[in-house]
Amino acid sequence: MSRKYQRRIVITGMGVVTPLGDDIDTMFKALLEGRSGVGPIRNFDASTFPTNFAAEVHGFQLSSWIKDCSRWEHSGINSKFAAAAAKQALANSGLIEGMNSGKVDRNRFGVYLGSGEGIHDFHNLMWETANSYDPSTRKFDYAKFCKGGRESFHVGSEADQELHTTAMHLAAYFGLNGPNFNCLTACAASSQAIGEAMDLIRIGDCDMVLAGGSHSMIHPLGVTGFNLLTALSTNKANPQGASRPFDKERDGFVLGEGAGMLVLEELEHAKKRGANILAELTGYFSTADAFRVTDSHPEGRGAIACIDGALKDAGVTPSQIGYVNAHGTSTQVNDRVESLAVKHVFGEAAKHVPVSSIKSMMGHLIAAAGAVELITCVEAMRTGWLPPTINYEHPDPECDLDYIPNKARQSKALHCLSNSFGFGGQNTSLVVSAFTG
Amino acid sequence: MVNDSRRGVVTGLGVLSSIGSDLETFWQGLLAGKSGIKRIGLFDPSELPCQIAGEMTDFDAKNFLEKKDRKQLRVMARTIQLAVACAQSAINNSKVDKSAINLTRFGVIFGAGMVAMELPETADAAAVCQMPERGKIDLKLWGTKGLEVIQPLWMLRYLPNMLACQVSILHDAQGPNNTITQDDVAGLLALGEALRIMRRDHADLLMVGGAESRVNPLSMTRQSLFLPLSTHNADPSKALRPFDSGRTGLVLGEGSGILLVEEIGHAKKRGAEIYAEVNGFGAAFNGTDQADAIERSIRIAMAQAGVSVDDVDHVNASGMGTEKEDRFEARGIAAAFKGSKDPIEVTTIKAHVGHLGGSSATVELASVALSLRHGVVPATLNYNSPDASCPVRVISGSPRPLRKPFVVKTSFTSAGQCAAAVLRRHDV
Repeated sequence: MSRKYQRRIVITGMGVVTPLGDDIDTMFKALLEGRSGVGPIRNFDASTFPTNFAAEVHGFQLSSWIKDCSRWEHSGINSKFAAAAAKQALANSGLIEGMNSGKVDRNRFGVYLGSGEGIHDFHNLMWETANSYDPSTRKFDYAKFCKGGRESFHVGSEADQELHTTAMHLAAYFGLNGPNFNCLTACAASSQAIGEAMDLIRIGDCDMVLAGGSHSMIHPLGVTGFNLLTALSTNKANPQGASRPFDKERDGFVLGEGAGMLVLEELEHAKKRGANILAELTGYFSTADAFRVTDSHPEGRGAIACIDGALKDAGVTPSQIGYVNAHGTSTQVNDRVESLAVKHVFGEAAKHVPVSSIKSMMGHLIAAAGAVELITCVEAMRTGWLPPTINYEHPDPECDLDYIPNKARQSKALHCLSNSFGFGGQNTSLVVSAFTG
Repeated sequence: MVNDSRRGVVTGLGVLSSIGSDLETFWQGLLAGKSGIKRIGLFDPSELPCQIAGEMTDFDAKNFLEKKDRKQLRVMARTIQLAVACAQSAINNSKVDKSAINLTRFGVIFGAGMVAMELPETADAAAVCQMPERGKIDLKLWGTKGLEVIQPLWMLRYLPNMLACQVSILHDAQGPNNTITQDDVAGLLALGEALRIMRRDHADLLMVGGAESRVNPLSMTRQSLFLPLSTHNADPSKALRPFDSGRTGLVLGEGSGILLVEEIGHAKKRGAEIYAEVNGFGAAFNGTDQADAIERSIRIAMAQAGVSVDDVDHVNASGMGTEKEDRFEARGIAAAFKGSKDPIEVTTIKAHVGHLGGSSATVELASVALSLRHGVVPATLNYNSPDASCPVRVISGSPRPLRKPFVVKTSFTSAGQCAAAVLRRHDV
């Protein structure tokens, strides 16, 4: 690996909340076992929706992570998932105690999240909408809506829907007084947040950044929106078989929810405080397809430039990559274009590189997906085990890579690539490497 | 550590605001002390406590776009239409020839907030599924009959990243693309990020922008619940009074501001007109004492720019117009400029255009770039009785000439997210 940056960035803490467990060990064990976290939607009555299943987080209580969680009383679930994952990551990094005793400079400890939007108060919003509307004349009475909304909306939960609140809560609660960012680039958001967080450390603005994302779109308007776009699988007959990335019979993605958080730290800073170094974050790149809001560029121009850029940023060649954690959503277009892009950049090395999509097991965590997938790469390097793509049954001639079908595989990876591609043509790739000193 | 050889300059501007939808009208409006704040006319606001806003009553995105691009407007909420219209203005203003630049090194970094839903779009679905009991929707009906009467692309009209994505699609900008959602400070964070991207050599040219329409019944209803909005409906143009002891609260508005930030060598090579240089950026957080985070942001930005307190002409402040925030901001600025020969002077254009959320900072940055270009500083409106707890000298009354080469821009959220940038006059 070339060393073009003076400041190297390592991962010293990680935390997750996912449909397959709300700690890293439980989640990773489930991934290696090839378990599906998909089931009937319980968050709301979705029984008549075209898609009535998802990978949900069940039994989550923020109070099991944070004793005094009063500041999250009116927060949406995004913000609560983020807080629990952040607490794990900071504790894992040995920081909860350290920060209290003033061992790290809070002013150089930033937050960069790719955390999803707040969730509208669906029932009140739509009831007041209906109450202000006359379908026969199609006239909308705005004054009536304003009056009704002011009566029925809850002040605290409305305030906490605003897009800057998740990162604010984490910074305020944990005392992280450096730069505070949140980006929202659809399904690429938390990967992009991690990449930009790395840059904040590289250029010297921060020594540490809490980076990651959180999201749930398993709510009436979320499922409505994705169903209308026909992006979700409607395989009601076999929900656990619905997310089948790279399989010829794939018919859309399955929604998941959760959060992934990482503590990124400048190498010398980590060494000095004796932190446990889990991996080194070595490469990042982001591009735009600039093509269409709904579809990826058919020849994958944005994805190709993105993967290529991230490998160059890391100073690694395709043949050095031991595992690709694919975006692999299980939609026809994504999986075809992503396979195409990997083949284009990897050339001959594409024939040998193992690729898998954990979305086959935990669904698509949207803004949070990239962070959880990067954490999966780190665990894969640490344990020497690569998670499979489950539900892989029918090979697709256009998707002809080694997708680690159905069974985890023992394989030592030293460098991993993690891809995240989002609606609107957002592409982000990260390279994470085993820390070798 | 920073690649100093890659300096950023502003080579194009676009502004849409309630005081003007082209640069010249906007700039003349700032100098003339014009306020765009008026009684809301886009919908009937009579049931809201705050019935005024910086509204762009006659905005029509079609007037800004080429004919071939107009049909895309169907899938854009008003906020996204503001973004694409303003982006076209900024591109025109920069005179950049897209066929002569490397489009994979052309990025788009935006600030954005929640894109307010346009209520009629789900009204038919809501009407079908409304139950007699207040606040109850029949979800079983929604999943069948409701979904049938909503447009298929409905969700894409409201995703916050659609501002930057639609702009990238219209202008074939294939470089880094991001959407930062930190409310009033989002656009300034976007500028800082664009500068980093340019310095790390991942782009030569970036559109740094923001757009937001808060003059929307859902937005106004929600925000009336948790923001300290002014109820000074009788005299709209006097309602927003930054740093003035007669404050009446916040006033929302709508608009867009976009800056073309370009690597200086790239700009010179194509003979671009340069408005200003962007020399430094800093960001910080403090959840209880914003003054501390504002002070640190300014200090970091000034250190990066290599600027001393006596080089700075003035601070273009956020100027929220609420007691707590004005005092925090003034104290933070005063602390950062402690030891300067003359007390630091401050101006803000909030009272001209209102609070624009995700587009506040970039509209204000456009005013800074124009100040540096024209050598004139607009005065703060409605500053009649100074708040003694705001220890800064506010530029008021009439515009004054620019005396020193640097301007500091500050923005922050009441939640404690703060940022500052240092811009410099470009001497040809």
